[in-house]
Amino acid sequence: MSKELVIAKGVTKIYTDSGIPVSALRGADLRIDYGEFTALVGPSGSGKTTLLNVISGLDFPSEGEVWLGGKLLSRMGGRELSDFRRDHVGFIFQAYNLIPVLTVEENVEYVMLLQGLSKKERKQRITEILRVIGLDGFGNRLPTQLSGGQQQRVAVARAMVSRPTIILADEPTANLDTAASESLLDMMYRLNQETGMTFVFSTHDQRVVERARRIVTLKDGMINRDESRK
Amino acid sequence: MMLFSIWIRLGWRNIFRNKRRSLIAGVAIGVGLASLIFVDALMKGMENNMMEAATSTFLGQAEIQRRGFRGTRQTDLTIRRLSEILAKLAQDARIKNFSVRAISHGMVSSPSDVSSVELVGVDPTAEKEVSEIDEAIVRGSYFTGQNPQDIVIGYQLAETLQVTLGDRLVVTVSQVGTGLLSQDLFRVSGLCRFNIPAMDRGMAFVRLSKAREALGIGGNAHQIVLMFKNPEDGSNAALPFWGEYTQDDNEALGWPQLLPQMAAAFRLARFSIYLTGLMLFGVVALGIINTLFMSLHERLFEFGVLKALGTRPEGIAGLIVCEAGSLAILSSVLGCILGGLITLLASGVGIDYTGIEYAGVTIRKLIFPVLSVWQFIEYPLWVIFFTVLAGFYPALIAAGIPPAAAMRQGQ
Repeated sequence: MSKELVIAKGVTKIYTDSGIPVSALRGADLRIDYGEFTALVGPSGSGKTTLLNVISGLDFPSEGEVWLGGKLLSRMGGRELSDFRRDHVGFIFQAYNLIPVLTVEENVEYVMLLQGLSKKERKQRITEILRVIGLDGFGNRLPTQLSGGQQQRVAVARAMVSRPTIILADEPTANLDTAASESLLDMMYRLNQETGMTFVFSTHDQRVVERARRIVTLKDGMINRDESRK
Repeated sequence: MMLFSIWIRLGWRNIFRNKRRSLIAGVAIGVGLASLIFVDALMKGMENNMMEAATSTFLGQAEIQRRGFRGTRQTDLTIRRLSEILAKLAQDARIKNFSVRAISHGMVSSPSDVSSVELVGVDPTAEKEVSEIDEAIVRGSYFTGQNPQDIVIGYQLAETLQVTLGDRLVVTVSQVGTGLLSQDLFRVSGLCRFNIPAMDRGMAFVRLSKAREALGIGGNAHQIVLMFKNPEDGSNAALPFWGEYTQDDNEALGWPQLLPQMAAAFRLARFSIYLTGLMLFGVVALGIINTLFMSLHERLFEFGVLKALGTRPEGIAGLIVCEAGSLAILSSVLGCILGGLITLLASGVGIDYTGIEYAGVTIRKLIFPVLSVWQFIEYPLWVIFFTVLAGFYPALIAAGIPPAAAMRQGQ
């Protein structure tokens, strides 16, 4: 098996904002291997979120190609892409974005329902993941009954429970206090180490940057610097 | 199936996220449904009322007569095999009462004036069971004595002729067969008021035997008026009765054939209800679409997240349709309760349309709206169908928004 999970070649993304074309990415090239713990950094508007969107198939590049797990995303139709994301990509968003009317368990279960897993399998995975993220006994609570840090942990659980190939996190610590951020990063780093799951973050947070083993810096829609750490 | 259950759960819970908005939309749909239930019940009550007014006054629920008599009033068109039919009717388990009539156009004159009338010869005892001539008497009496020369006339006819109780009238009719005029002297024994102008100014009633004698039809008759044990039989075209008695050039007709304008008016009224309902729900549907779009735009980022998690476009559409369905079910319950209560209240006190003439029938009693189980099945099902249908438009729009665009616009 190839060690390359993501290959983005000459990715350009232009979208229109109030009728004005905006270049979010300008010929970005990026390769991410399986098991990496990578941070995408750069100032606001540098193209971090757009790059996450195109490598996950949430958006298509205006030019260039994106391969994920050996599949060329632009060749996939709407349903195929939905199914591909469901099975291979986990998302963590800045504002947690749990479904407010579903309980913690139901939020975590949602993707497994999409995958068509059996009730027994779902139950088993929920129990396991809630224990891993330290939210045993919180299964029946609604997101509004949790703190920001707890909600982001549930978001991590939701992203991981379907056992995706890659987890993409868009500013995951932006709304968390220091303690919650540290705790979340510890947990994600541990999961990366234990399961070999690939994590890619976009972030402004220096604490995240410090934990990353690879830092990709974007500026004006282009990859400005790419450094790996031991 | 598992997915469907989560969409239903999500759809149901989502309508409680913005309670005020859902309540307003739900009340709009519910009031629409309640109006339909009430109008339908009112129509049913009005139909019953008018049918009862039309049939019980004089027409009866059905009539048997010689083919052609109804349109021409030719006095030679008497019922064939009358005695056999009367014997059969007497044995017929479906029939409650019947009465025989002899009918002719005629002239009635007093010392002061003259007027054309429809002279009806009735069997006073049997007639009481099929019409309300006896109840319509406002002065005098209804053939209580033994005087064969008694005549009961409408109060407006009495005014025209300037006669009152005890005054004498001469009735002139044309005899069957010879065509010779037959005249007889009668004494006014009763004045009646049906509140139906055509009857109050144009009808005169005498005993059946006197009418037969004047017309020279022997033991024959022109019309048998009857009432069924089940009043709905009168309008039941599938009843074998009609075929059984439409023989030997006689015809048996129910009230919808006897009063085609009323049956047509009922059909028109029914169609109007459906048309009004359609327009009402067209307006409500726009409200539902607006509500769902507002909800959609508020939760655009959330839909982007659901798509990012791997929900297919049809899943997003299904979710919104389930939301519309949940709203429809809740609104239908509200509408049924509201419609039921309003109709129950109105059916307790009645609605006063008395004196109004519609489709040739004067409404003489209060209208009591009639509730039926079907109103609580058919109309809510239509409401749910239309609401879900209205939900498809925003559902398709939501399904088509690319996930990244949804998240960008929803931020």
